[in-house]
Amino acid sequence: MAEENTTDPTQGNSKLVGLLAQFDDPDSLVHACDQARQAGYTKTDAYSPFPVHGIDPALGIKRTVLPFIVLGIALGAVFIGLGMQWYTNGGSIGGVSTDESPLFPGYRFKISGKPYFSLPANIPVTFEVIVLSSAFASFFGMWFLNKLPMLANPLHRISRFKRATNDKFFLMIKNADAKFDRGSTEAQLNEWGAVAVEECRQDLTDIRLPGWLRLVALIGAILLMLPPVAIFRAMGMTNRAPRLHFMPDMDWQDKSKTQTVSPRLVNDEFLFADERAMRAPVDGSVARGQLDADPEMYRGIKRDYTPAVSVTTATGSVRTSLGPNQNQQDVPAAAPPAEDVSMFITTFPDEIEVTEELLARGQQRFNIYCTACHGFSGNGNGLVNQRALALAATGKATWTTAKSLHDPMVKDPEKNPIGRIFDTITNGRATMGPYGDQIPTADRWAIVAYVKALQETGIEPPVVVAEEGGAVAEGTTTEPSKTGDGTKPRP
Amino acid sequence: MHETRPAKITSPITTLNGGHIRTIPVALIVGAAGIGAALLLSGFSSKRFLFAYLTSFCFVLSISLGCLFFVTIMHLTRAGWSVTIRRIAEYWAMCSFPLFILFLPVLATVLVGSDTIYSWNVGGWSIHPHDAETTAAKAAAAASTSISDRPPLEQLKYAFLNKWFFTARIVAYFLMWGGMAWFFLKNSLKQDESGDKSLTARMQAFSAPFMILFAVTIVFSSFDLEMSLSALWFSTMFPVYFFAGAFLSGLCVIMLTGFWLQRTGRVTDEITIEHYHDLGKLMQGFIIFWGYIAFSQFMLIWYANIPEETFWYNLRINQPGWMTLSLILLVGHLFIPFFLLMGRGLRRNRQLLTLSAVFILVMHWVDHYWVIMPQMSPETNKYTLGGSGFLIDAACLVGVIALFIALFCLIARNRSLVPLKDPRLGEALNHEVH
Repeated sequence: MAEENTTDPTQGNSKLVGLLAQFDDPDSLVHACDQARQAGYTKTDAYSPFPVHGIDPALGIKRTVLPFIVLGIALGAVFIGLGMQWYTNGGSIGGVSTDESPLFPGYRFKISGKPYFSLPANIPVTFEVIVLSSAFASFFGMWFLNKLPMLANPLHRISRFKRATNDKFFLMIKNADAKFDRGSTEAQLNEWGAVAVEECRQDLTDIRLPGWLRLVALIGAILLMLPPVAIFRAMGMTNRAPRLHFMPDMDWQDKSKTQTVSPRLVNDEFLFADERAMRAPVDGSVARGQLDADPEMYRGIKRDYTPAVSVTTATGSVRTSLGPNQNQQDVPAAAPPAEDVSMFITTFPDEIEVTEELLARGQQRFNIYCTACHGFSGNGNGLVNQRALALAATGKATWTTAKSLHDPMVKDPEKNPIGRIFDTITNGRATMGPYGDQIPTADRWAIVAYVKALQETGIEPPVVVAEEGGAVAEGTTTEPSKTGDGTKPRP
Repeated sequence: MHETRPAKITSPITTLNGGHIRTIPVALIVGAAGIGAALLLSGFSSKRFLFAYLTSFCFVLSISLGCLFFVTIMHLTRAGWSVTIRRIAEYWAMCSFPLFILFLPVLATVLVGSDTIYSWNVGGWSIHPHDAETTAAKAAAAASTSISDRPPLEQLKYAFLNKWFFTARIVAYFLMWGGMAWFFLKNSLKQDESGDKSLTARMQAFSAPFMILFAVTIVFSSFDLEMSLSALWFSTMFPVYFFAGAFLSGLCVIMLTGFWLQRTGRVTDEITIEHYHDLGKLMQGFIIFWGYIAFSQFMLIWYANIPEETFWYNLRINQPGWMTLSLILLVGHLFIPFFLLMGRGLRRNRQLLTLSAVFILVMHWVDHYWVIMPQMSPETNKYTLGGSGFLIDAACLVGVIALFIALFCLIARNRSLVPLKDPRLGEALNHEVH
């Protein structure tokens, strides 16, 4: 090698890369390639202005592995594409969803009522990810396999090689080949019909960057830092100038928001006569899933119940009866006038199965919604009741005692069947307000179940007390009587 | 070592060489026997038989149309590589015209005013009789002779879906397909004798308007033949779906015909593995295209979730048997052939290509079955594949395919199976895939 580097003083400091043989037609090139392969050369390359049929086998070039690289990456893209959508859509495994992740949480968007992760919707994106990554894999895989980019190629220093894109054909045998020998290889190439054989040399002159260029590069790099620095600085500052609106039609959309006044026409009249922007649903329309057609499940009333004429109003107004009745505080809760108790179901509706979970749920809901008045044990002595009685004792308020759920009247399954308890929670009764809008149907049934269980425990209400407005501490520690207004629990 | 082949036909046998004289009688007998067996097995139930028959008919018609598209697109793109396999496609394309005779039984049911196959032929078709009131309304609309007694939707659709306009359209389609196929075959055969290069230019010039004509006819024929079976349903994607399957099966049949001819010692030199390789690549491309279109049609309907559109898929999904068939179609028409044809080595293996082509054709038949059969009794939505039902379909399929082959032999006769003097013959003979 050292000897070859100095064979020709006119070549300066250079290294022999290989021998380039020129041919005038594709057939002699293919013939020479064939000979070179048979002579045992492996590090060879051929150059031609157009694809020459049969040159790959003549040179002994194996088929590329690129398709397998692309296939592997495309199959990987299937998992990446699906996984990305699964993650960003808040997919879940075993009840743990990515939308609860503290870092980079996914977003659960309900779109068209479809599941958060539903395969048909994800296939187009997965398909695009496959196409994109396959394109990248084939393009950059080709670069990698061909050791690209090659910024300088010694072949381009040979003037006759320029015609490789025009009308001449070349075969290169590289110095790196084990069988390469400067003299004998040249003789072989001539023997195989080369029109000309020429050395291809790599210039070994110092190719490092000149010092001044490094300085320029350094200054340039510093200057390039300025725009991001300016942006970061602006982000940390206040500014009095109005913000830029790149898309005004998105910032100021031609629409009305909820609970606003109707838009006005050119002549200043309201677009909608009732002056409201929101439109009421069409009369009689029912929201999806809100039909609540089953009277047993949603109202606690038997399916086959047909009201007698005289009580039509009472039953027909099951949902709305609280309006007029709400303030009639003196009406006994268990016996509203003209009420037909037989209309209520006496067992739980088919959809409700009384289980331990249901009771636990009922207890939890009961503790949230009911205990304020009825107390944790259901004896009717919750905090609100205590406070109200204390105030009533001083003449500042009027108050009707909250019912004890252990009252024989309330417990009596004949007078107060299960459906009626549900109805009481839903629509209220006497002074009790309605909870139908606050507690979902299933939870109301859970509370009914819990109330029945509470009654079954047979906890006797402590001595009733409330006549004079005092409050009694119960045996339970969960209901301490903290009354800061001077009333004290009785001994 | 690379050598350029001269543009000369070198195979000793380039015609059917009398093979058609033996094949035609056999094919006709098998055809009659198959269709007769189907008729017998269906217990002379005209509805069951005609639906099986329509499935097989649409199967062979789509193959023929796929070949017509092949010939047209090859002229349109001035393709040189495909010259030696073009003649096979020309013969199959020419079969589309006589296939009109096979459509006559179906057309007859329409002309006598029956709704055996096309329910839109009788008033009240849009009413689903689920209670006494609707049953009475349907009967009233069916009994009335006045169009104005029908529901408004039916009155609107009557302008297009009535028996006379339907018949006129069907006749027009077959005339146009026959005309195009005949034009290409006639000029190609003329060139065999004269070697006149201007004929190639002439065919190329006509291929562009023919392509438009082909697009229009395949769109409306797929509406008429298959989509109008469920006249309430509409999908503008459906013709593309029909076309994707048609061209795919056309490629398979061209390939299988080539294999068969070469195995029996005909055109041994002109069709090379390079041509099969390219056909295989086209096949894989159109497998993906079919999957793309089938999925696009499904996904848009699935996402919008409008009952007017979803009921068609509902018929094919909410019944266990049809659902199985839908999954078979997804896996068998898309995934399996996709991997069967992936890779150069697989596409240059004659045995594997034969296997793939036959498999795709079977799946293509399942595709038509899946489109047509659920419409036979959409009210009960009963799954009919399996048992004796399968025998009816299989016998009918064998019969119709045999008649299709007989048509091919009748048209090819003693004519050459390769173009003899096409100006691009040399290019095709020296075709090489990189």
